[in-house]
Amino acid sequence: MFRSDLDFSSPLPIYRQVIYLIKLEILSGRLSDGDQLPPIRELAKILKLNPNTVAKAYYTLEEEGFIESKRGSGNWVNYKKARLDSLRKGMVEDEFRSFLETALSIGATMEDIKNLIERYSDNDRKNRKS
Amino acid sequence: MTEKIVKVENLKLNIGRKKILDNTSLELQKGESVVIAGRNGSGKTTFLKCLANVIFPDEGSIKFSGEVPLEKIGYISDQLSLFENYTVKQGINFHASVFHIEDFDYSLIKELNLDLNQKIKNLSAGERTLFHLSLILAQKPEILLIDEIIHVIDPYLREKFLEAVIDLMDRCQTTVVMVNHTFSEIEKIPERVLVMEKGQFILDEKSETLGEKLKKVVSETEMSEEVPCIFKRELSYFREYFVYPFNEQLRKKFPHDYKNTGLNEIIKAFIGGQYVKKGNQ
Repeated sequence: MFRSDLDFSSPLPIYRQVIYLIKLEILSGRLSDGDQLPPIRELAKILKLNPNTVAKAYYTLEEEGFIESKRGSGNWVNYKKARLDSLRKGMVEDEFRSFLETALSIGATMEDIKNLIERYSDNDRKNRKS
Repeated sequence: MTEKIVKVENLKLNIGRKKILDNTSLELQKGESVVIAGRNGSGKTTFLKCLANVIFPDEGSIKFSGEVPLEKIGYISDQLSLFENYTVKQGINFHASVFHIEDFDYSLIKELNLDLNQKIKNLSAGERTLFHLSLILAQKPEILLIDEIIHVIDPYLREKFLEAVIDLMDRCQTTVVMVNHTFSEIEKIPERVLVMEKGQFILDEKSETLGEKLKKVVSETEMSEEVPCIFKRELSYFREYFVYPFNEQLRKKFPHDYKNTGLNEIIKAFIGGQYVKKGNQ
């Protein structure tokens, strides 16, 4: 996670963006179950954010059931597998929707997009075989 | 979190015949971080100096809630006179003895590669500022007033400086008031944004809601007068409008492409547009 990952002119509040970044870290496996998250102060220093913003992000993540805060010892990644799968589905769908909006706005048809998906899945299958 | 730390009421101050502060009022909460922006000469520095007890206002009052002793108010500016003929080492020792500091933190000084036997008057502007900051940080201030110093330090030390301030905010719940002209580095540190004009605060808004309330419209055609526009810029190919306060009904009534902007643009619009606060918004 770096400061350049944040978009300051985005309508999405910064603490939401921090949550998104941490979820990405978890989904991609860079943070796994039982890992310790950086302390609030350290993450605030890295991202140059108000410590309260980071605290709010951690608190929300805890409410959503992705991390657990232990008094005095910091924040730890802690999730149920089912929770993670539904998160993955949701995030992929969000990304797909925004891709679709851009593609349609520059004049692509649904047919083009279907072809594209097929071509890429063929490539993927070939790559896996070899 | 809503514990008041200082209440400023109706400050008035004239310098010569010029009104610098004109009925300025402000309340600050404990642990809050605030940025004050405004034109040159709008009274920002004077206001900070009043808060720091460096100068006294002609009228009005500044009340600190509970016991905030003078040494718990830290004021940093690039125009300070320190003990010029002392060496850095002597300066630190003197400061530590006056404020009874036992554990002086040398980390910022080390970062600067400062020669401790150098005289303070021979330091560069950036070195002085960070030297002064490390003195102030050792006092563990409850209120930290930072007066336009980001500009005089280089990017590397700027980062160190911000880290030190963030550290202090989290460790000591310090209230931070920054006066600034560039905002890209500090963009998301302040929770509250104030804009000063002619000795008064014309804007006082939470940074979270400010982005929602101020939108930028780039358009080739003239925009309706009914849209509340605070600042307009006419360029040869298109016009830029800054809309404040924005709400969703406005989008329905006047369909434009309302864009979000960063703090730099927002402040520019308020300063350039000489926005006048209407009633109690």
